[in-house]
Amino acid sequence: MKIEVATILTLIIASILATNAIAAGEGETVESLVFPASYKAGSVSNGGTITGTVKFEGEAPEMKKLPITKNPEVCGLTDKFDKSVVVGEGNALKNTIVYLMDISSGEGFKKGAKIKYEIDQDGCQFDPHVRLLPVGQRLTMLNPDKIMHNVHIFSKKNPAFNKSQPGSRRKMPVKAVKKAEGPVAVKCDVHGWMKAWIAYIPHPYFAVSDENGKYKIENVPPGSYKLGYWHEACGTNNDAPVSVTVDAGGSVMQDFALSLKE
Amino acid sequence: MSRPSVKKSLSICFAGFLLFPAIISSPVFAEGNSAPAASEAGKALYIDKCAHCHGVEGAGDGSAADNLVPRPRDFTSGLYKIRSTESGNLPTDQDLFEVISNGMPGSSMPAWEGLLNEDERWSLVAQIKTYFEGFEGALPRVIDLSGKVPYSEESIAKGKEFYAQLGCVECHGVLGRGDGTSAPDLTDEWGFRTWPANMEHSWNYRGGSTTEDIFKRFIGGIAGSPMPAFVSSFRVGLTDAEAERIIALEDKDEMTEEEEAEYTELEEKAYEYEDLMLRIEEGDEITPEEQKKLDVAMKPIFEKSWHLANYVKSLGSEGRPPAAVGDKVLRSQYRLGELPGLNDAAWGEIEDTSYFPLVGQVIIEPRQFNPSLDSVTAKSFYNDNEVAFLFSWDDRTRTLPQQNDETGETVEDAIAIQFPVKVPTSPLDPKPYFIWGDRRLPVYLWHWKVSEANRITEMNAKGIGKVSVQASQNQIETEAVYEDGRYRLWTKRALRTDDKNDLKFEPGVFIPIAFSAWDGSNGDVNTKRAISSWYTFVLDPVPSNRRFVYPPVVALISVGVLFGLRGSVRRRESANST
Repeated sequence: MKIEVATILTLIIASILATNAIAAGEGETVESLVFPASYKAGSVSNGGTITGTVKFEGEAPEMKKLPITKNPEVCGLTDKFDKSVVVGEGNALKNTIVYLMDISSGEGFKKGAKIKYEIDQDGCQFDPHVRLLPVGQRLTMLNPDKIMHNVHIFSKKNPAFNKSQPGSRRKMPVKAVKKAEGPVAVKCDVHGWMKAWIAYIPHPYFAVSDENGKYKIENVPPGSYKLGYWHEACGTNNDAPVSVTVDAGGSVMQDFALSLKE
Repeated sequence: MSRPSVKKSLSICFAGFLLFPAIISSPVFAEGNSAPAASEAGKALYIDKCAHCHGVEGAGDGSAADNLVPRPRDFTSGLYKIRSTESGNLPTDQDLFEVISNGMPGSSMPAWEGLLNEDERWSLVAQIKTYFEGFEGALPRVIDLSGKVPYSEESIAKGKEFYAQLGCVECHGVLGRGDGTSAPDLTDEWGFRTWPANMEHSWNYRGGSTTEDIFKRFIGGIAGSPMPAFVSSFRVGLTDAEAERIIALEDKDEMTEEEEAEYTELEEKAYEYEDLMLRIEEGDEITPEEQKKLDVAMKPIFEKSWHLANYVKSLGSEGRPPAAVGDKVLRSQYRLGELPGLNDAAWGEIEDTSYFPLVGQVIIEPRQFNPSLDSVTAKSFYNDNEVAFLFSWDDRTRTLPQQNDETGETVEDAIAIQFPVKVPTSPLDPKPYFIWGDRRLPVYLWHWKVSEANRITEMNAKGIGKVSVQASQNQIETEAVYEDGRYRLWTKRALRTDDKNDLKFEPGVFIPIAFSAWDGSNGDVNTKRAISSWYTFVLDPVPSNRRFVYPPVVALISVGVLFGLRGSVRRRESANST
């Protein structure tokens, strides 16, 4: 009897985990971020900070040089590398999203002329490689290349997006979406090696680790939260998030050591 | 079965239009009929007819799915290729009904019109919609076709310029044969390999080949495929001069204060319209006045897009060419003196190119269920000693010998032209088995491969596994080129050879001919190939020199007889009168 219960439980857990994983295009399956059921934006006073470093555990794989199969006069001016695992000095792991999974109220997104939501396609490579984009926020695609790119966003929960950005359009606005989703892949089919990620986020408590592996989540209302991470090649901690408690005006340090998904 | 028709609701709206003239410019929502509610009968019909490919739960994973290219649609994704609607929108019910009714040419989706009645097809539309919750309450925006520019040489010429400017060539190639430099790397939304359309083979367009069909694909894109919506190709709300000015300013390293102000003004002007488009895409309501303003601004963009659609339309033929049977059989024309070479203009004298459709070889393992080569065409000349052929076939990539990622086999582009060793003397005589002959009736083969482009290897075969390269090879002159997605292969051989395993070409004799073709990039090798059935080839009988003798002789005799008759009549008359 006990064995049966255990089996059923395992099955249930497995199915929950399976539904968490969403197809991200390109035939691969990438795990999704975890979003709160609802979020109320307001003002936060005396918020705390969560900081830390994300490191790659083990020997860092060498970044694969991408074959530039077309437009070498534009795309081949500098070498392009597969950015799925970018490891810096001291095994610092770039492009990891660290975020609060279960926050239900806090501050709204910062606004201002200086805050730009852009993805540059300079030299046939997306920059940044991982872009956080608030739900309801439009994105601007930059194309200084003077050749055609197409912006193909592999959304599933939000409507499909695939539009041409000809060489004559240096900037192209992309519609905002309504649902939190992702990260979803962004591709240029014309230059098949171009790939990046967009996470449509419902609240501002997300950060992406920089080249030093550092991340910082600020102005967190005091309380206890589940701290999650997502990395393209290393996966997520969706099934075992880290619990953190933030005191008023306090600071919490939480480092991560990630290794490649099996 | 009651189907709430949109026509009915339109007539109700008509009253509204009378009261509020401003709404007249409102966008058209779903045109045509709408589906009934999903029913048990529709579900049962789906399970019976559709589930084998599209899967029991509509996820495009039926038992046959793995063998199909393109793969059956995954209805749970909400991504539909063939739509009359704008980018990012679901199809209308009418769109789904038409695809079910007409099928999708060039794919495995058959036309169900004639197999299922109208109500049954509508019940399937309703069933398919249950697999994607986004259909609930959706009001897809239909692409405005009202500004259609008539098909004309002038419009085609303009469209040709846009074709080059907008980046169509990247995938579809300079001449539209689907051989663009991005073509080999394309995958669909699910990571499966996919190919851009060969615009000359317009009969393979999945959603039809009318100018309207092309326009809709251009404006709205083909969801789930790499084909983006090109509505974003032009700046809305700006004149061409203003759009160019913006680019010129953006390209400056530094702008003066005045230029900065000019740039901001132009950008703001453009963004006014851009913002309206984005709001529509984001699902916001816009006022009738705003819609009217946008409609006016979109007019020049649609006009340019119609030019492009006219140009693309001009690349394709009206339907698939008739196969080389009946009066279309491959006839070698007699020619005095030297036969034309590969690039000789003389080939243009033969107006009718014989067309040989190819299909996948699915009889012998390993099979090719999804051939990428559509057809071979041929022309021929001969003189008293030799026969020359010009074969051509479209292949989107030139594949030199390389290892196939999946099978590890070495693949390359190749073709084989097949004749029987012994020509049947009467139409009732059996021909060799059409796939490389059989034990009793061997075939004679000309095998050409891209890695040895100037050589034909003569072979004999008594079946697909029993192939022998001839010990003594004739001098078959060979030359081949690959240009803009097309191979052209020229060969010349003596009419008669000493080898008893060769075919002898005799004028006036109907000779069976067949083809095998391999596209290396499609994994074709050995039995995995595209093939044709037997067709017919004939050297036109030599026009005899006697034509210069008999007609004058006959004419002289006739004239003589006439004179004789006249004389005899006169004599009789004079005899009577006396």
